[in-house]
Amino acid sequence: MSNSFSSTKAWMHGFLAKHLQFHIVGTFIISLGTATFCNFAVAEPGNKAYADFYRNYDSMKYFEVKSKAGIFQSAKGFEI
Amino acid sequence: MAYPMQLGFQDAASPIMEELLHFHDHTLMIVFLISSLVLYIISLMLTTKLTHTSTMDAQEVETVWTILPAIILIMIALPSLRILYMMDEINNPSLTVKTMGHQWYWSYEYTDYEDLSFDSYMIPTSELKPGELRLLEVDNRVVLPMEMTIRMLISSEDVLHSWAVPSLGLKTDAIPGRLNQTTLMSTRPGLFYGQCSEICGSNHSFMPIVLELVPLKYFEKWSASML
Repeated sequence: MSNSFSSTKAWMHGFLAKHLQFHIVGTFIISLGTATFCNFAVAEPGNKAYADFYRNYDSMKYFEVKSKAGIFQSAKGFEI
Repeated sequence: MAYPMQLGFQDAASPIMEELLHFHDHTLMIVFLISSLVLYIISLMLTTKLTHTSTMDAQEVETVWTILPAIILIMIALPSLRILYMMDEINNPSLTVKTMGHQWYWSYEYTDYEDLSFDSYMIPTSELKPGELRLLEVDNRVVLPMEMTIRMLISSEDVLHSWAVPSLGLKTDAIPGRLNQTTLMSTRPGLFYGQCSEICGSNHSFMPIVLELVPLKYFEKWSASML
């Protein structure tokens, strides 16, 4: 029996490959951008806050303030 | 101490806790990187009609998605191990305090010089003074000298408990018949709160820990007054 229609190989235009090439770059930009944003919006300000706090930190001064507030059982008021 | 609607860690009061905070920031950044990558790829797959149904092999991409996760895991493991070893450094503590877990309170022993020991029970809600914290305050706080390295030896008299102080980055299991050791060093004076962290019965949530970090001379006065 002969086939009345001849089948031909489908012509691939490379649409999926082009789509993927474009979006692979986009994927990495988005994910690395998210990581960079996390670093500069959360991690760096946190590090800076701790560095600034401890740069000129005087533990005795903070102890005096807290002691005068009366929170310590072992140091009522601020007796020397 | 913890506060309502808190999302992150408590402020660090020890160098180890500061290291843990930075490590958490680093690891969370990697988590967001991977999550955003996966989310983007899923949304891409759901919004295209293009397909490729005759894939036979994909050696290059399989190499990439094997090597890259291995690199990411190494980037997480190295700082993690660094902090783990930092916690175990020899640091010549100036003081040793023993704590024993009971159902349902902690007891503390300062036996370096004299025999000082006391129990630390939670203050019931009905007996709190204004400004005190519900389920966190205790009758006898653990007074310790600030800015000094202290060895804590932790065990239990009955069931499993866990001695935890989040702002100092401490959590050590209290196991009957076993002595566990941890090192404590606070960079700031103040009150640091923690709660039992191993289920130990009906009042597991009602045996808190309160550390009172004060200058050395106040600690010495307090310990003399407690004898």
